[in-house]
Amino acid sequence: MAKAKLTFDTEKCKGCELCVTFCPKKILVLDSETNAKGYYPVTVTDIDECIACGTCAIMCPDSIITVEKE
Amino acid sequence: MAKKLMKGNEALAAAAIAAGATHFFGYPITPQSELIEYMAREMPKAGGCFLQAESEVAASYMVYGAGGAGARVITSTSSPGLALKQEGLTYMVAAQIPAVVINVSRGGPGLGNILPQQSDYFMCTRGGGNGDYYHPCFAPASVQECADLVTEAFDIADKYRMPVLILADGLIGQMMEPVEIKEATEKPIDKPWAADGGHVKRGEHNRINAMILPADGLEELNHVIQAKLKDYSENYVRYEAIDVEDADIVLVAYGTPSRACKNVLKKAKEEGLKFGLIRPISLYPFPKEAFDKINPNCKAIISVEQSCGQMIEDIRLSVLGKFPIKFFGRTGGNPIIPDAVYSYAKEVLGGKA
Repeated sequence: MAKAKLTFDTEKCKGCELCVTFCPKKILVLDSETNAKGYYPVTVTDIDECIACGTCAIMCPDSIITVEKE
Repeated sequence: MAKKLMKGNEALAAAAIAAGATHFFGYPITPQSELIEYMAREMPKAGGCFLQAESEVAASYMVYGAGGAGARVITSTSSPGLALKQEGLTYMVAAQIPAVVINVSRGGPGLGNILPQQSDYFMCTRGGGNGDYYHPCFAPASVQECADLVTEAFDIADKYRMPVLILADGLIGQMMEPVEIKEATEKPIDKPWAADGGHVKRGEHNRINAMILPADGLEELNHVIQAKLKDYSENYVRYEAIDVEDADIVLVAYGTPSRACKNVLKKAKEEGLKFGLIRPISLYPFPKEAFDKINPNCKAIISVEQSCGQMIEDIRLSVLGKFPIKFFGRTGGNPIIPDAVYSYAKEVLGGKA
């Protein structure tokens, strides 16, 4: 059972990978499909592993990640 | 105005409006799209004209028209878009039209990709269109510098009646930093040459024209352009030089890579090595005099660029064989990482590279 719900505002993501780098569980990756601007936005591989620490949301320079505790 | 957190692209746009720009023409392209989006939102509120052109070529001629009529006009694009705008730029130089042109550069050649790269150095500093000309070119390294240089670019453009180019790489365009948008310091100057219908007596005309058929007439225009460039080059050289007087290695970098190089300098200092940095802020004119300050016993100069090495040619012309020149670069949109520069510089210092 997932501890958290992650929402990405993918159209604003520029694929800088700061969240990917700093995720302690290493469950964030860049998607294989681009957004409208042409960037590969972030997505989550295994939401069940998420511990809702919020590090990704804190790291995101464009504030596109919302973390909600379930 | 208080500091705000803004993207480089937004700061460039906000500073242009604050500097009194009344017209924007452009065509969207990543990674500068936030600039045109900001203009679409804010320019009409400021009472100005925002128009999305059907192409980059069209946008550059809209700039030609508005500038020729005396408006403070700006356009922005990214690398392949600037290649398309070159025709309009050389026409603006010939017709002596002031304008500010922004290039938030991306990966090339061709359509390349949307990641930051600095491979437009030649196109931006050599006069990318036909004919004998250069135009002023500035390279900001922070969001604040983006805003400050736009303000100044408008004044320079008006003073010399030339297009002024700002070359920010895609990383600065996308990066958020606190920035203070300053109000314009100088009032827009009167433009008695403008084809606005208001400056001439009955029977006389102000003409904006990029074609001069008589040989002597065109030669005279070329001399006027060269005289303007000479005066400009003597007054607007900008650079930052750090610890070059006693450095064993001098790094040369502009834009984002210069920030990585500052970290390299910090690390070198911690380990007792003497590194210096020259950061050109004006790319045309290239700050040749900065290289005269370098320690005569300096072992090597390293050009650090997010390209396959273009600025290295200007460094060669500035150094004139006094020091060996090395190159460190990444391409394809890959960033310059301080650790990689540092280990390369140590190899150079040890005679291994």
